[in-house]
Amino acid sequence: MKLTQDVVQGGLFLAIGVVALLMALDYPLGTPGRMGPGFFPIMISTLLALTGIGILLRARLGMSELIRLARSMPLFIVSGAIIAFGFLLDKLGLPLAVLLLCIGAATASVRFEWSWKAVAGAAVFSIVCGILFVTLLGLPIPLVGSWLPVLGAP
Amino acid sequence: MDIFSGLLLGLQTASTLTNFTYCFAGVLLGTAVGVLPGLGPIATISMLLPFTFGLPADTALIMLAGIFYGSQYGGSTTAILMNLPGEASSVVTTLDGHAMAKQGKAGRALAAAAIGSFFAGTVGTLFIVIAAPLLAGMALSFGPTEYFSLIVLGLVTSMVLTSGSLLTGFGMVLLGMLLGMVGTDVNSGAARYTFGSPDLMDGLNFVVIATGIFGLGDVLANLENESTRAASIAKVSSLFPTRDDWRRMTGPILRGTGIGVLLGVLPGAGLLLSSFSAYALEKKISNHPEEFGKGAIEGVAAPEAANNAAAQTAFIPMLTLGLPGTATMALMIGALVVQGVQPGPNILVEQPALFWGLVVSMWIGNLLLLILNLPLVGLWARLISIPYRYLFPLICVFTAIGVYSIRNSAFDVYLMTLFGVLGYVFRKAGAEPAPLILALILGPMAEEYLRRALLISHGNASVFFTSPVSIGTLLIAAVLLVSILLPSFRRVREEGLQEVD
Repeated sequence: MKLTQDVVQGGLFLAIGVVALLMALDYPLGTPGRMGPGFFPIMISTLLALTGIGILLRARLGMSELIRLARSMPLFIVSGAIIAFGFLLDKLGLPLAVLLLCIGAATASVRFEWSWKAVAGAAVFSIVCGILFVTLLGLPIPLVGSWLPVLGAP
Repeated sequence: MDIFSGLLLGLQTASTLTNFTYCFAGVLLGTAVGVLPGLGPIATISMLLPFTFGLPADTALIMLAGIFYGSQYGGSTTAILMNLPGEASSVVTTLDGHAMAKQGKAGRALAAAAIGSFFAGTVGTLFIVIAAPLLAGMALSFGPTEYFSLIVLGLVTSMVLTSGSLLTGFGMVLLGMLLGMVGTDVNSGAARYTFGSPDLMDGLNFVVIATGIFGLGDVLANLENESTRAASIAKVSSLFPTRDDWRRMTGPILRGTGIGVLLGVLPGAGLLLSSFSAYALEKKISNHPEEFGKGAIEGVAAPEAANNAAAQTAFIPMLTLGLPGTATMALMIGALVVQGVQPGPNILVEQPALFWGLVVSMWIGNLLLLILNLPLVGLWARLISIPYRYLFPLICVFTAIGVYSIRNSAFDVYLMTLFGVLGYVFRKAGAEPAPLILALILGPMAEEYLRRALLISHGNASVFFTSPVSIGTLLIAAVLLVSILLPSFRRVREEGLQEVD
């Protein structure tokens, strides 16, 4: 079967629907007059699985577009940069984490090139973020993270 | 409270320095967002929501509302100057607006859009003042049965009015409802779909999901086909409409406003439908329909008036029923609930300053947009030429910090990334994610109202067909579903929603 939009949609809905239904079967069902925590999830996940089957059947008609992947690198680079940001935020402090995220994400662009101007811009932006979010808006995020004791972190 | 003392209270609330400043910041930001392609109002509002949690409820809502209707203005600017609809609802504006720009009449098209929008915004605001108390009064008699049916209508409309097939929309709604169930069930205390993780016990935060799917998902999808946006920007000459322009656009503005005001109130219908209907109506009744698509000023004034009127009146069901009609309104509800304000029929009594302050601020905001935007056209045009490679890392930073700050949790950042990837998959698979966000907010409400309705009726589902309001609402939903299968409506929908994202 070709990887068309319908196949992806149908497969996704069917898979999530079935998993959700199996999990929901463990929750008490109750009666229509006294719905238990399982009643609504079973209803919705069954409908979702059926919708998935319907879309997969439609996919056999071959009407939907093929999925083409032009470049998949940005997906991994940008997701990776954000996950790293989440992990490093309290360890490096906000400005440094922002700088890493900025540069990390920027490498995903086809037009990315190292230039001191861009790095300087990102550095200025990181400092502005630190002032804006931590100093002015008072978000409880450290400016200097726990991995940087040399710089006087708590 | 009568209307005049209400408006007076609203004026007092909206004219405080803080609220005025945030209103100003909101409309300015909204216009910028509307101008920048690849950054929509849903993504922006979800990104900024966490930062408004520290503000008072009225200030936060005033700013978020400003972003929302400001983006309608911004969207029309790029539609006219660059043939790029910054927002979905400005797609029709590109037809005649850009044609006018190519004939050197860009300034007059912009003026028509701005004047139409301002007039419509004023009427829309007045309509809220009159209609919201009436609807709130009616809504006091609504029970769980009526609410459940209204939610069904909202979800059905959102399915009908998105691009892609109806079945896909249905699947997205169901998926959104499932995501809404994650966490502790309020009635039984049972943990559902938490996979044993304590981080999921409180449920999935809608901001995390919306930021992931719309903010990050857009970035991921845009980067895949990153192209040089060699947009040519039309020159703006005279901003003043001629006497002939005035004569030609008065009627369309009035009719567009009427359509927008009415359609905006419908749950799920909103901006898109109103701008398309207004355009279709003008083309139908015009003496010179052949000019449409080639630079007819009617084709700019009418849809712009309609979508701005709808942008105002969309607040009516959100505030008075507590039922969001669109994904953007769903985010506003989320923001209010976080602030401890429960939207619903009692909001006028319990939060008069919030309600009236918002209404008056919307009028002030529209006035600001009219005064600001025409002189600032040059600035907006420069904004659009910012290359995407500088823009997207900043979007990543704001989404990540915003999501982290909700409860200082790195887990939420990981979750947001997951939903970003999911949002990318949805786009690749041609599944429009807006119904999912709406269902995420409406799903838990639907479950609760269904439970209560059936509890009262002892499990008898026929109550949904015996209450007049409920059966009427369900009938409208049924008509909508049937109409989408009719060939003529189907064609209009496919044409209309083609470009829309």
